[in-house]
Amino acid sequence: MAKLLIEARNIKKRYQMGEVIVYALRGVDFTLYEKELVVVLGPSGSGKSTLLNIIGGMDRASEGEFYFGDFHLHEASERQLTYYRRNEVGFIFQFYNLMPNLTAYENIDLSAQIAENPLDIDGLLEQVGLSERRDHFPSQLSGGEQQRVAIARGLAKNPRMLLCDEPTGSLDLASGIQVLKLLRDFCDDYQKTVVIITHNTEISKMADRVVYLKDGLVDKVEINDSPLSAEQVSW
Amino acid sequence: MLWKKMFRDILSSKGSYLACLVLVLIGLVVFTSFSILRENLSFSKEYFYREQNFAHGFVELECMPRGEVERLSRIEGISDISGRMVKEVRVHELRPEASVYLKLVSLDLAELRRVNDVLLLQGDELAAGEEELDAWIDNQFFEANGLELYQELEIIAGGSLKRVTLAGVGMSPEFTYPLRDLKEIYPNPEQFGIAFLSLEDMEALFPETRGRVNDLVFTLEPGADFERVKERLETELEQYGLRTVYPREEQVSHLILTEEIKQIGNMSRVLPLLFLFIAGVILYIMLKRLVEQQRGQIGIMKAFGYTDTEVVVHYLSYALLVGSIGGIAGGIIGIVLAAPLTGLLLEFFNVPEVYESFALRYLLTGLLLSVAVFLFSGYHGCKQVLKLKPAEAMRPPAPAFAGKTFLESVHFFWEMLTIQGKMAVRNLSRNRSRTFFLFLGIMVSCAVVAMTWSLNDMIDKLIFFQFEEVETYDAKITFNAPADRKKVERELQGVPEVMWAEPVLEVPVKLSHRWLEEDVLLLGLTGPGRLYNILDASGRRITPSEEGLILSERLADNLEVSIGSTLELESPLLHSDDDKVEVVVVEIVPQYVGMNAYMELAALEEILKRGELATSFLVNVGDPPAAPEGGGGDGGNAISALRDRYREAGMVTGVDGREERLEQTRELMETFGVAVYLYVFIGVITCFSIIYSASFITLSERSRELASMMVLGMTTREVFAVITFEQWFVSVFAMVAGLPLAMLMQWGFAREMTTDLYTVPASLTPESFLMALLITTLSIWLAQRFVLRGIEKLSLVDVLKTRE
Repeated sequence: MAKLLIEARNIKKRYQMGEVIVYALRGVDFTLYEKELVVVLGPSGSGKSTLLNIIGGMDRASEGEFYFGDFHLHEASERQLTYYRRNEVGFIFQFYNLMPNLTAYENIDLSAQIAENPLDIDGLLEQVGLSERRDHFPSQLSGGEQQRVAIARGLAKNPRMLLCDEPTGSLDLASGIQVLKLLRDFCDDYQKTVVIITHNTEISKMADRVVYLKDGLVDKVEINDSPLSAEQVSW
Repeated sequence: MLWKKMFRDILSSKGSYLACLVLVLIGLVVFTSFSILRENLSFSKEYFYREQNFAHGFVELECMPRGEVERLSRIEGISDISGRMVKEVRVHELRPEASVYLKLVSLDLAELRRVNDVLLLQGDELAAGEEELDAWIDNQFFEANGLELYQELEIIAGGSLKRVTLAGVGMSPEFTYPLRDLKEIYPNPEQFGIAFLSLEDMEALFPETRGRVNDLVFTLEPGADFERVKERLETELEQYGLRTVYPREEQVSHLILTEEIKQIGNMSRVLPLLFLFIAGVILYIMLKRLVEQQRGQIGIMKAFGYTDTEVVVHYLSYALLVGSIGGIAGGIIGIVLAAPLTGLLLEFFNVPEVYESFALRYLLTGLLLSVAVFLFSGYHGCKQVLKLKPAEAMRPPAPAFAGKTFLESVHFFWEMLTIQGKMAVRNLSRNRSRTFFLFLGIMVSCAVVAMTWSLNDMIDKLIFFQFEEVETYDAKITFNAPADRKKVERELQGVPEVMWAEPVLEVPVKLSHRWLEEDVLLLGLTGPGRLYNILDASGRRITPSEEGLILSERLADNLEVSIGSTLELESPLLHSDDDKVEVVVVEIVPQYVGMNAYMELAALEEILKRGELATSFLVNVGDPPAAPEGGGGDGGNAISALRDRYREAGMVTGVDGREERLEQTRELMETFGVAVYLYVFIGVITCFSIIYSASFITLSERSRELASMMVLGMTTREVFAVITFEQWFVSVFAMVAGLPLAMLMQWGFAREMTTDLYTVPASLTPESFLMALLITTLSIWLAQRFVLRGIEKLSLVDVLKTRE
């Protein structure tokens, strides 16, 4: 049995929009184990990005309890949340969010610098297949290449988990498959937890576990006994 | 609807627009208030000159029969001429702690169009021929000494105590800035004033001057040439011991007042342009950024059918709004400030307040100026709107090519930098125009602060060099006419308070070299003396020469002479056998206050052939052994004792304590300090506004980048450091570059300010530059605190979810 990494109970998130209160999450129970690849699936507005932001320490829940190991994240200070993001979480975004004026290598180094136990940058570049392009700036790279740099950057800190928000959302199929393969490999090779948020149901076929969100609630959770490899996925 | 959009856009970046507004406001306040001030001063001055028939020319001579004045009035070119007797006297016991002097100027009551007439402010007309001696006193002296009308003043005239009744209080265009001698920087109405008496009363005070005058003032007919009149007067007056003939332009009060008006005029042009330029650049950068940010919105507007002009006008309305608010508010504040400023300056210069209102003209000019500058910079900021096609505008822009920068080839430097440092350097080199603006802004701010701060040092040097380095005596005893040196020496030897005494012979001379000539005081000093030091540029003491003249730099420049040149010397004190003598220049030395020539006393006496003379004695004092306890070592008691001793002495004009003069000057200087702080404040505001707007533009432009760093786990401080590193990187270079700029500004300022009265030293002290560094650094640091708050407020979720 894999070790429990995150446990969230009855997470609620509400926004005040003028006089109306809008609920993004209405009471989500969510667990995350070590070394698993989880896909959170749901239509637009189901609350999946909000959930990811809360798990990643970028946002706070309005209500509910949220533990990272023994650490109560819902009571954490801003500084504690920063250190949580620094040491435990790697982020991958749909729009890459690379530093435009740093080269591929430097973008990864920026992340490695602040980590306690960073991974070797050249090794990561080789694994994402961009050794040749280490000195290129983001504007000189394709979307797929930029996303691969983003993955290497997310991993460079050697975090316990990698949180990916629509990582293939802006990519063509071939680049998307490449990115998914990398995520699967990292989950297996580095024994990391990977969470992918997507509305693309095909991607869920490569997950160990699939969490379905609907209207701010967990609709169902499926365990996938025989996940597909990234190459087998297509959309 | 677009107005609403504009207001909301402005509100969302209110800080930066406010910074722009403050700069325009300051610029316009300075423009309006100083322009109005200049006009008011000019108007009041001209009105005063016209009404009081202010002279075009001034003549000083030994003495001549008054009847000759009538003959001189027939010289071609002279319109009106007045002959006067001018004498300086000491006021008896007005202030126990210091000598108080009055310059007495006679007025011919029978004259119809008196030159340099007095404007009577209160009191009665002067009456001649009565037993009581009446005088009009100048209003500043009157107020400074708390005098009352019809009060009697005791003066020592011709060696005896006389009483003069203050019949009236008035002011004269000749004494708008009355200085007792040219070694003073500010008028000191507590100790020096002007009194006007009828010719008859003057003759009653000085019976030996009956029927004579020693001073002429004249006006010219329209179109007359001063130089030709001067030549005629020189010929006519040579026999009467002519000392000098000079035009209005060289008259001290007029010169200083005119210079002041000129400088206010210069400031009213230069400062506002500087502020408007900086504000214009900030607005340009902000609008450029806004248009880039709102590319999609512009596409939509165009897709709806808005014309290019409508879109450009929309963005120009931002500039128009800031320009007009700043322009109107600045103009109004300027107008409000102009009146008290005018009052203050006119009072300082003792000119009656008569002026028209020029307010509206400058309000409109200022408004037009600020709107024009803003529309120009605004148009350049948003003109890219014109190029965008709707479909193209709705797509994100093609990423700019990001290559390596020049500094990356400097390996050792590049390797020294952290990743954040590398980001900063690349950002700077990719936004070159913005970096340049940042650099320029900080450089100018730093230089302005350094230059202003060093003005303090400059003025310090100006005054204290004279009173602490050059003059080192305790007191100066001045005689009303050249006295027998040996006799005075013997007298002073018997005075217990006097520890050391050195004679000085001050001789009015005309020095000429080729066609150039200057009227100056030649100081005969004993060498090597210890109470009056002639110092060279490096501060070394120079012994007065027996071989020739030592000239002040300004004098040497004016006469275009160098060491070894031969000058012709003329003086009313030259022996009648000699018309003029030739003297050689042996040394040229710096002199900040006044313009003099120096020579060894005995050598000077030899030239004059009038025996051993002295016009004053410099003394060091000490309290005599019998002095009461607590006499102290400052010589204050001894000087008082000396003053008491010679209070009634006819030949002694006064006993002046050097420390007292220094103290008075110091007090007067304090008002000057306020102006310095004002300029420093302006420097700080400029620097703050530049850094503040630059930071907020960076923040809005790179919020995504900064948020990404925070998501990576960087603290707000670490992210903040990326922005501040950039700013400090530029600032350090900019501040260093501020040093030569400050020196250049100082040099220009010194050149502008230097007149025959003062030589303003162009020296930037290390202290003032350090102070400028400190103040600039502080204002940068302060502006960055607001940025830190901005970073803390960044919403990671919102920023990162959006597409670039």
